[in-house]
Amino acid sequence: MTKITKTLFILICLTGLLFAQEKTTALKNAPSFTLNDVSGKVVILDSLVKKGPVIMSFWALWCKMCIKELDALKPYYPELESLGASYLAISQDKSRSIPEVKPFAAGHKWKYQVVLDPENKLRKSYNVQVMPSLFIIDQNKKIVFTHQGYKPGDEKKIMEKVRELSGKCKACEGNK
Amino acid sequence: MKVINNIVVTLLLSLTFLIAQEQNITLGGANAGEYWLFVDSKLDSANYKEHIEDKLKLSLNYGDLTLRSIFFTWNPSHPNPNRLNYIDYLIEYDNEPVDILYGTYYTTFGRGLVLNQFLDEDFRNDNSIYGPKATFKFFYSELAILAGKPRNIFFEENTYKIKNDTTDQIRGINFETKLPLPEGFSLDVGGRYVRYNRRIDLTPKSFTELFGGNIGITIGPYEGYFEYARQLGCRPVLGGRLTGDGILFTSNFSLSGLGIVFQIMNYDSIGFGGAGYRYNEPPTPIKSGISVNRGTDEFGYGTSVNYSPLDNLNFEANYNSIKTHDKTQGVLEQILKVKSDPSENLEILGAIERLVKEQIELPVNKKTEFKPWVEATYNFGEFFLEAGYEHNFITTDTSKYYDHALSVSVGKPELFQFTLRYERRNQTPIWLVHKLGTEKSWPLAELSLDITNKHNLRIRVGGEKGGLVCSGGVCRFEEPFKGVKVVLTSIF
Repeated sequence: MTKITKTLFILICLTGLLFAQEKTTALKNAPSFTLNDVSGKVVILDSLVKKGPVIMSFWALWCKMCIKELDALKPYYPELESLGASYLAISQDKSRSIPEVKPFAAGHKWKYQVVLDPENKLRKSYNVQVMPSLFIIDQNKKIVFTHQGYKPGDEKKIMEKVRELSGKCKACEGNK
Repeated sequence: MKVINNIVVTLLLSLTFLIAQEQNITLGGANAGEYWLFVDSKLDSANYKEHIEDKLKLSLNYGDLTLRSIFFTWNPSHPNPNRLNYIDYLIEYDNEPVDILYGTYYTTFGRGLVLNQFLDEDFRNDNSIYGPKATFKFFYSELAILAGKPRNIFFEENTYKIKNDTTDQIRGINFETKLPLPEGFSLDVGGRYVRYNRRIDLTPKSFTELFGGNIGITIGPYEGYFEYARQLGCRPVLGGRLTGDGILFTSNFSLSGLGIVFQIMNYDSIGFGGAGYRYNEPPTPIKSGISVNRGTDEFGYGTSVNYSPLDNLNFEANYNSIKTHDKTQGVLEQILKVKSDPSENLEILGAIERLVKEQIELPVNKKTEFKPWVEATYNFGEFFLEAGYEHNFITTDTSKYYDHALSVSVGKPELFQFTLRYERRNQTPIWLVHKLGTEKSWPLAELSLDITNKHNLRIRVGGEKGGLVCSGGVCRFEEPFKGVKVVLTSIF
């Protein structure tokens, strides 16, 4: 392997790091999307953000840590609802696995809106690299929080972010 | 890809950086870089090999227009003569009811019996099409038309390989419609046609056609789906018409706390492609991803039940099978899984898995694996502790042995996870020695560090036993690994 290749590789990684560090201060617009959920209902991001913050969690049936994350966040669902937040569990399962997604979510008593993305269009739009990946979008349609992977206890940190954000949530102010 | 294409993409990307300051433009991306340093089992321990790989994805969105590009480079050390470098791009205009794109894309018609070009990034299986695609939505219906050249990249034997003839051509049309019915009821109907041209073919008819249709129904908690596909092609070398059929029926029932799935499939010469690749990839019922011959001659069924009697208790049971029609080759899978959270901070997961493979892992005729495993996680708040143990009893025609593994992890939420794993095999049967060597233990240490919420660094040091791994019906034999793997993923 040439030294040039190694140098290029290190440079690409470092550029990625520096670029990402810089972007943490400037919030990025969340790409719009229209997809169907497992019940056939149309899910439009632009409509959801008007109601409150949107939490998007990318998961798949084969992804053990994704299921752990969604199970761990299950007890917080009533609080999320009271904060005016919408929770989308975006399935990355291919079309061959679609018939298993709805029964799996039902069997786990998930109340999240389970969205289907069989061609992984949304995964590409949001540049998801690691499963699970979670994004929190505020009412200005900005991505205010990004989280890659899952470790036990991450759900508490995620909830802290949602609570922090709901302070700025217009819908929640109305409720108060 | 041609030099012109590379220049165009580079220019477009340079432009995106310059105009990215504009408010309505969103520029994002991700990068995954990997470096491996390992001992090649075919060489002696003094001969280390390197694997260096980077995938940089950039996307630019301006209103209804999107430009996406991927820069990929893979450069292994000598003596591997292969390298793989490519730049993929996609330009898309998406403003409902119209979605038009040109570039490298992935698509599936129906459930994949007719066309299934997909990306399985985690399994390093990249089946794309390069060309135009247009989708129109109208009156609860969707019509897609596409054309392009397929490219199937697959990672096996520590090497990325392009498996197909990239001069092959695909042209296809897919129509799906949904009847407007009251909430809780639905009726979907679809039809599709795909023509595969082969530039180089010995037979006079140098193309294959696949077509089919589907019907889906929803009545409250019940969903049913039926798909039929037919292949009209040519017999390779022999000549003459080759006819194939594929049938897939899936059915599921979902209520809060209970989910049941039943599926059945029958494939007779429907899988189309070549050695090691398919342009369609008919579904397999096996959870661990194994198929027998990827749609050439298979009959399978599967049933799965997911039940939560309490909020903190979940059971999952699976019984799946796929076999050739003469029953000489096949896979049977049985899984029983229990998950419980006895307290807020404790999670226990246990399972028993049984897998019977007949004529799958040659040279053994029959291999039976019986694997109980358990895993417990305790969250102390600031820190968590995870421990797991698995014991895999393996029986073949000629041998009986077991693999067992113990792992312990400690970590801090949103910061790190450090894992120590020790795996051991009591004896290596002779049939496995030439594939996996005589190694009997594989100690491994792994650190996963969240540098920030957007960057994760994983360092893995130690050994991996290797063996047959599968995903979505595609399998590869992973070579044993002894060395270091460093993976840095970033999202921006």
